[in-house]
Amino acid sequence: MNILLLSLILALGVYALLAKDLLHSVIALSAISMLSALLFTILRAPDVAITEAAVGAGVSTVIFVWAIRHTQRRDKEEP
Amino acid sequence: MKKLELIKIVITVLLCSLLVVPIILSNHSWPTHARNYLLVNAQSDTGATNTVSAIYLGYRAMDTLGETLVLLVSVTGTMAILVKLGKEQTDEETTSFSLTPEKRPTNRLRTHLLETVASKLGPIVLLFGFYVMLYGHISPGGGFQGGVIVASAIVFLALGTEVKSKLTSTFVLSRIESLSFLLLILASISGVFFESGFFGNPIKSASSLSANFIILLNIIIGLKVGTSIAVMCIAMMGGSHDH
Repeated sequence: MNILLLSLILALGVYALLAKDLLHSVIALSAISMLSALLFTILRAPDVAITEAAVGAGVSTVIFVWAIRHTQRRDKEEP
Repeated sequence: MKKLELIKIVITVLLCSLLVVPIILSNHSWPTHARNYLLVNAQSDTGATNTVSAIYLGYRAMDTLGETLVLLVSVTGTMAILVKLGKEQTDEETTSFSLTPEKRPTNRLRTHLLETVASKLGPIVLLFGFYVMLYGHISPGGGFQGGVIVASAIVFLALGTEVKSKLTSTFVLSRIESLSFLLLILASISGVFFESGFFGNPIKSASSLSANFIILLNIIIGLKVGTSIAVMCIAMMGGSHDH
C-alpha cells in the first residue's frame, strides 16, 4: 500500500514537472498533497496529515492559482 | 522529440530517487531515548494527552513563538507588495474572484456551482477548524492545523457569500491577527511574573484542567495563523484593499 502510494506520488510529481499547462501541474501538486495526507494517516501521523491536507491541498493551491492568473498559463511551444 | 521526453522523465525520476536513497540504505537505528522519556513524562509534565501538542507548546514553546514571528513577517511583506500592486492596477477588480454582484457576469471563473458549494461548506469547515483548534491537547491537531482550516473556511465564505461581512474584510482580519500576536507575547512573558519562567505555565495550580495553558496557546496561535493566511488569500483574490 505504501509502495503504491509512493509511486503514485512520484508519477504525479514527474507529471507536475513536465506538464505544459501549469494549471494541470497545480492540480497534480494538490493530488500529491492528498495522497501524502493518506500516507501520513496510514503511518499513524494524523497531526501531519491534517496539516498536509489543509496547507498543501487548500491554501497553497489558492496561492498557486493566483500566481498563474497573474502570469502565463501555458509553456511556450518549443521551436 | 518523444525520445527526448523519455530521457527527461528518466533523469527526473533518478534525481528524485537520489533524495530518498540515503534513508532507504541506512542501517542506523532510530533514536529511542527522547521517545521513551516523552512516552512516560509528557502527560504529567504538560497535561496534554496529545504528545505532539505537549512538545511544541510545552517543551518547545519558544520555537512556536519563532514560527509565529516568521508567519507575521511573511504576511507583512506579502501585504506590502499586494497593496502596492492594487494601487498600480486599477483593472484588477474586473477579473477578480470576489466581486460585487453587479460586476459578476464579466467573470467566467466564478460560477453558481462554486458559490453554492462554497457558501454551504464554509460554516461547516469553520466549525471543524475551531474543533481541531480547541481539542488540540486531546486529539490530533492543534493551533496551526486548526488555524489553517479556519483560514480555508474564511476563503470559502469570501468566495460564496454575496454580502460583505465583517468576517471576510481584510481590515478586521488583520486587526485580529495583530491582537492575537500581542496576546501571544503577553502569555509568553506572563510566566516570568509567576516564577515559572519564560513560556512557563502561570495558571497551573489555579485550575483543575491541567492542560489549560496549552488550550490558551492553541486558541491564540489558531487565531493568528487563521486570520493571517485568510488575509493573504483574500488580498490575493482581489478582495478589499480598503485599509
